Amino acid sequence: MNWQIKYALASFAKERQSSAEHVGGDIIRIMTRDRPDVLAAITSVETVDQATAARYREQVEGLDFLCGYRAECVWEGEAIQYLEENRIGWGSFGTLGSAALDGNANSAPHKVYKFSDRLLRQYGRVEKVDREFDRIHRITLRGGATLRIGMIADYEPTANEVRSLWDRFGPVDIVWNINPNGTPQPEANEAGRELGCEVMKWDELKDRLSKA
Amino acid sequence: MGRVEGSPEQSLMTASEIAVHLLNTCVSLVHYDAYMFGSTLQGVGQDIDILIVGPAGDPLTQLKKELRYAGESLPLHILYMQPSEERHTQFVAREKCIPLAHLAASCRRSRVRTQF
Repeated sequence: MNWQIKYALASFAKERQSSAEHVGGDIIRIMTRDRPDVLAAITSVETVDQATAARYREQVEGLDFLCGYRAECVWEGEAIQYLEENRIGWGSFGTLGSAALDGNANSAPHKVYKFSDRLLRQYGRVEKVDREFDRIHRITLRGGATLRIGMIADYEPTANEVRSLWDRFGPVDIVWNINPNGTPQPEANEAGRELGCEVMKWDELKDRLSKA
Repeated sequence: MGRVEGSPEQSLMTASEIAVHLLNTCVSLVHYDAYMFGSTLQGVGQDIDILIVGPAGDPLTQLKKELRYAGESLPLHILYMQPSEERHTQFVAREKCIPLAHLAASCRRSRVRTQF
């Protein structure tokens, strides 16, 4: 049994709202009272690309959910699109646990980025959203301007998180702290200035979008 | 992970064992203050929260490489802070972070007790 399966089973055993059993390889089955069973793949990869997503779908008949167990797991936009088109939920272990309880594992997206993704898509000034990664969106505004936005979900984004986002995903125009209770550290703002981007919360971003 | 297979929880490393593993594997940690916080201190958590406080630059790049290797089979969730960021947020006190060195020492003490 691989390490991520051990952690996943131990976590379900501890939480007690759902139970889980090992099916084989990277696959577990989650049972929750009055909810459909969930067949989930728990992957240890650091990046989920479309090939990884397709491999799990082809190998596991009836797959409901693909879970990236590592906290730093990154999902490429093409993988997200592939999974959503094939009615497979995707995201973190926390997303999987919530989806099993809610009974919507086939359609659940990564809960960390769910609301910020929706906010951008529903904002009137935004004409087009191209999701490059789970946390990187290139948006086109009705006026024609484009902005590349990177999301950081932490409560207190640090300079390291801003620099790491830039190093991993390339230049962005805006780093959006999507945690509604979050406060970027002064060092994070300074790191953004040095790199050539702005670190902001939703109210500032909304203002920026309305003026762009 | 070096334990006899039983229930999934029994086969996972304890907080102290993780601390020993990280300190033994990541030599660059001597240049940083390293802590554990969160649910792993109370038993098994979904991931293992680690706080690293210290300078940015090349030493941090090296430490990240070492931690990546050390965390190949562990769900490490690592937060890196500059000393000024830790002072602003009082993160260590607020989150009741425990130095890895303290956790590792308690592991070594319990091993000595077991031997006698």
